[in-house]
Amino acid sequence: MKKETPYTFKVKIPSDVDYVAPLRKFIAEILQIQHFNPKFAFRSEVIVDEICHNAVLYGSQTMDATVDLICSIFSDRVEFQINDQGGTKDNVLRLKNVIENTDEQVEKEMEHFKSSKGLGLEIVRMLSAEMNLKIAKDNVTSIHIVRKREDN
Amino acid sequence: MESVKMEIRQSEFKPEVTVWYIEGDLDSNSIETLNVHFSRILEGNRFHAIAEMSKVSNISSAAVGELMGCRQVLSDKGGDLVFAGLSLDCKAKLTHLGANKIFKFHSDLRTAVNAYAWEVQQKPEKVWLSFPPELNFVPPVRQLVSRITRQKGYGQRDSFRIETIVDEVCNNAVEHGAPDNLRDIELFLKIDRKKIEIEVVNLSDPKKINSLKAISKSILGTNEKKLERGRGLSLIKMLSNDLSIDFSGKGTTVHVTKLREE
Repeated sequence: MKKETPYTFKVKIPSDVDYVAPLRKFIAEILQIQHFNPKFAFRSEVIVDEICHNAVLYGSQTMDATVDLICSIFSDRVEFQINDQGGTKDNVLRLKNVIENTDEQVEKEMEHFKSSKGLGLEIVRMLSAEMNLKIAKDNVTSIHIVRKREDN
Repeated sequence: MESVKMEIRQSEFKPEVTVWYIEGDLDSNSIETLNVHFSRILEGNRFHAIAEMSKVSNISSAAVGELMGCRQVLSDKGGDLVFAGLSLDCKAKLTHLGANKIFKFHSDLRTAVNAYAWEVQQKPEKVWLSFPPELNFVPPVRQLVSRITRQKGYGQRDSFRIETIVDEVCNNAVEHGAPDNLRDIELFLKIDRKKIEIEVVNLSDPKKINSLKAISKSILGTNEKKLERGRGLSLIKMLSNDLSIDFSGKGTTVHVTKLREE
């Protein structure tokens, strides 16, 4: 079987909230161009907004910190990978607990990642088919999200 | 009643910036504490200050008046006092008092430090994007750039002109790029308060490279013979302050500089 080559978009932005809104709109627009329906595109926008805001607020606080987004569009799904240089040990640990555990004990941790204007990682998980976290040795934090076309 | 707590620290990432941590109720009883800490800022000779107020529960009009005085002193010395992390209630109260016309409000300390780097130090910010070489992806790319410029304070007209430039350069990169979508198109942005630099790199179609060189020579004025083609490049030249095209190496690099006008 021939392996499908996705359309891949890669973006690197400064770790600054100013860039998050233009970026999430960009993702919604390219998804609609690839015939994902407006509801799917908007929900993907919510995911990108939340993960990027978390990366800016809880990731590296250095002046040259960046956030990387890779969006791979397949015919049946979209995959997002959002990388940042990682925040404090506490923040990285909290993020790990939230993503890797699904029981009620993590609700308290979730509160930490619920931005005042955002909807929290809880809704990201709800809207995604898969959500995984990788933390590299150099503290680079990478969240991988899969959304299936039929999930809307 | 909650007593007020204050602390003065240097910013971790911008040592020339003072961070004034304030916690509790900023009522009229807090004025003395406020003045004591403000004197420390002046003694430190760092006149750009950020009042970190995420833990301020209330702010009285007397305290606002005092902070206005502090800001005026810093402003006279070439500095500023801005607020970061205000709660919705405090922000609403300050806006009601008209303080939003005097103080800049930032959502958090990080954003306030970034704003200092952008406005005072005029530090450029960089964005990199790579996208598949297809024409239907150009509109979202140009709109992304336009939204960024508007978000960074550029006017609508400047933003629209920048959008036009990005559209033309990216369309050219797709139309004259190598067949079979061999390599994605790369877009580099370097933006500061006064100008934006746009660089688009693509792999050109080897069959078109000579005609592209001739058109660019004609438009960039290095060839006396004017060619009929290349209206897109002429438009970019008219809208920008500097345009250069480099055919060396494996790709074609178009570099455009556009100064902010409004």
